[in-house]
Amino acid sequence: MAIEFHTNSMRELGNVLAFVDQACAGVEADTVFAVRLAVEEAFTNIYKHGYAGGEGPVAVRVDVAPRQIVATLVDEAPAFDPTEAAAPDLDAPWDQRRTGGLGCHLLRQMMDEVKYVRRERDNVLTLLKMRS
Amino acid sequence: MNVEFDTHGNVSVVVISGSVDGLTAEDLLNRLQGYVAAGNLLLVANLAAVEYTSSAGLRALLATVKQTRRGGGDLRLACINANVRKVLELSGFTTIMKLFDSVDAAVASYAVSVGS
Repeated sequence: MAIEFHTNSMRELGNVLAFVDQACAGVEADTVFAVRLAVEEAFTNIYKHGYAGGEGPVAVRVDVAPRQIVATLVDEAPAFDPTEAAAPDLDAPWDQRRTGGLGCHLLRQMMDEVKYVRRERDNVLTLLKMRS
Repeated sequence: MNVEFDTHGNVSVVVISGSVDGLTAEDLLNRLQGYVAAGNLLLVANLAAVEYTSSAGLRALLATVKQTRRGGGDLRLACINANVRKVLELSGFTTIMKLFDSVDAAVASYAVSVGS
């Protein structure tokens, strides 16, 4: 079953997460946690970087299948590929730690597959998580 | 998300519960920063009831670690559930923060040494 959520603002994050929970009703808690996290990181990146803190359309789609969950985010911001974002330095001492890049890093670590495609007018990010 | 403060002698326990996401983490950060600025430098975060955190929650924790340590204190974590622990590990936070299985152990750790 696949359902979609459309929004125009970062302020809708709470509703996006509630939508993910609803779409994943009955799915194992660990898998839902991972999908929720990846969708949030992708969603906030789109608004912070893609739309530069402003507003713009984002569609979130979640497909729940017996063996996997696929979440897809489509936005119309300038091209931004989270799969290419620089990895954070996880060995730096505490006073030199930066949290920039942590979101993309977590997104990649928590998913089994992350695919980014730039189309003529929009960005399509596909997040795949195998079910446990 | 909900945040409550509870003092155990000179150590303050911050009980955080619910979902720490990109919207609620800002509130968490403001509450923690205000509390530390008021002179509470020895903190233990009780995460037993935190069922979810994203990188936004980690940003709030890291900012508070820096703030307390620069003042000679620390923020230590207790009672972390498996999924939250995984996020901390993947982010390299388990090597820079002190983690404890119980609030009592985290509070007691300040009697031994203070700082990083």
